[in-house]
Amino acid sequence: MSFLHIENLTKTYTVHDTSFVGVDNISLTINKGEFLSIVGHSGSGKTTLISIIGGILKPTTGRVLLEGTDICTLDDNRLSEYRVNRIGFMFQFASLLPILTAKENVLLPGIFNPGKNMPDEKAAVDLLEMVGIGEKADSYPSQLSGGQQRRVAIARALLNKPDIILADEPTGDLDEETEAEIMNLFEKINQKHGVTIILITHNLNLAGKAQKKLRMSKGRLVDI
Amino acid sequence: MAQLSFFSVALKNLKRKTFRTGVLVFAIALLVSLLIFAISFTVSVASSLKKSSERLGADLVVVPVGARGFAEEFLLESKNTSFYMPISINEKVKKIEGIEAMTHQTYLSSISGLCCDIMPTRIVAFNPATDFIINPWLQKSLGRPLQLGEAIAGFGTSENLGLGLLDIEATIFDNRFSIVGVLEETGTGLDHALFMTEENLKNIIKSGKSPLKEGNISIIFTKIKKGYDPDYVGRVLEGEIPEVDVIARSDMGEKFLNTLADINKIFLLTTFLASVLTTFLVWAIFSAIANERSKEIGIMRALGAKESHIVHLYLVEVTVLGLLGSTIGVLAGTYLSALLTGSFSLLKNISAGLSGGQQATIALIGLLVGTTICITGAMMPINRIKKMEPLLVIKEE
Repeated sequence: MSFLHIENLTKTYTVHDTSFVGVDNISLTINKGEFLSIVGHSGSGKTTLISIIGGILKPTTGRVLLEGTDICTLDDNRLSEYRVNRIGFMFQFASLLPILTAKENVLLPGIFNPGKNMPDEKAAVDLLEMVGIGEKADSYPSQLSGGQQRRVAIARALLNKPDIILADEPTGDLDEETEAEIMNLFEKINQKHGVTIILITHNLNLAGKAQKKLRMSKGRLVDI
Repeated sequence: MAQLSFFSVALKNLKRKTFRTGVLVFAIALLVSLLIFAISFTVSVASSLKKSSERLGADLVVVPVGARGFAEEFLLESKNTSFYMPISINEKVKKIEGIEAMTHQTYLSSISGLCCDIMPTRIVAFNPATDFIINPWLQKSLGRPLQLGEAIAGFGTSENLGLGLLDIEATIFDNRFSIVGVLEETGTGLDHALFMTEENLKNIIKSGKSPLKEGNISIIFTKIKKGYDPDYVGRVLEGEIPEVDVIARSDMGEKFLNTLADINKIFLLTTFLASVLTTFLVWAIFSAIANERSKEIGIMRALGAKESHIVHLYLVEVTVLGLLGSTIGVLAGTYLSALLTGSFSLLKNISAGLSGGQQATIALIGLLVGTTICITGAMMPINRIKKMEPLLVIKEE
């Protein structure tokens, strides 16, 4: 049984009586611990694809099987449990809550996961140290640079020890140096912790750091 | 740092915009203080009237025809009024079927201007042989009957007379009296009177200084035998003796209660309008909050928050807000009630204190109503928040 298997996945949007296809009949298998990058232009369906994999969007047709379980058939509560336990999300923008400090932002997924022991402050600081900003644990997002905010988001994504990290253009608005540092961090997490990473980017150089590269165009996957 | 929880996140959310939070807390506090004041006012008056009529211990009160209002003013409002009927009415009342016990009292107002007299006060003369109104209080406070030349002050009168010590001498209509004690507070208008036996009153009348003539009484208190309907006996009394009006215990303070019912309607309408406005304000502010925080909610949903977690988070926030506003409202309303008691003649003339239990109950009602209104106002926006599609709100930016 494959780790993550996507089968005939299609997502159709309807806006003002006009339908258009976001993801068009995609099938894909991803192995555990794989580092996969998907490149493509804006509107090619990259975000739609990983949103369906992450359980925040339902497909029109098709299945997403994680270790044999079709997540598309899960109800809202089970999907939330799936996201909190198995997925670590990183978005295109700084996605921290401005009212919480860096370490509180890291701990946030913990309060949505009552089944597990709530990770403590030390766990949050350890994760922040791992991503290289341990000294910023008590800083608020407004006191952090863009790169530091991304590092906090990575630490947050790792809190519940996910199987998969879904990163949707996580370095989109960062300078090249910071971009490279974040990518190194992803490589380290992938290699050291065996976390499967699916990275969405429009930057071919960044995509090249992944073990496997795919390109999306008009909702379909094509080889690079 | 305390462990991160829904409560700590909700508190941080409330601190995010302190002015807006302050406006909501103020609005809820205003509503609750109005509610607390309204309930305190109504309950004070109603329970004081009930307590007063119960403390008198009579089922029916017989007064001269047309003097019903005066009698209520004397007994409940501590007003200085005089009304008389011939003592022979006693015999007529005694003949009515269903009367178990009866006793009469005579009321007299002392006047200022006479040499050496005490401050103007109300004098209640009672018949110790038949009395069942004053004797129980006397027994408690003095432990013996009043003698000739002795008087005892009601709780409120003692303050008016400046009595701090017992066994002081006082002159009333040229008659010297030894004031031998102070009765404990009863919560009735009789707290503001000076009590003596009929024998003493006779001496006052003999002195010729008072306007009262012998053979007059003011009021007859009656107890009804078991199995008889007080209202029926009252109607018979009024039918058989045209010179009297009868006040049943349940009708005591009817004039007050009618006024109170009208005041209640005004309070009810005002509180209802204030509740609607507050609910609308909470709804408007939480709708704005839902829009402002939609991206954050989307992020939380993507991080694994269930719909119930989002509802929980915002319910904690709105409940804290409601409880904070309601607590301030309860304190302000209680303070306002105490402060304004002296400004309302309806309250000034009666013993309008609330018991600890009543105050606690009213405070609890205030807390519940304030918090419920807050939650009600926020429910619709909260329901909208929880239904937000995570991806849509995340991509909105």
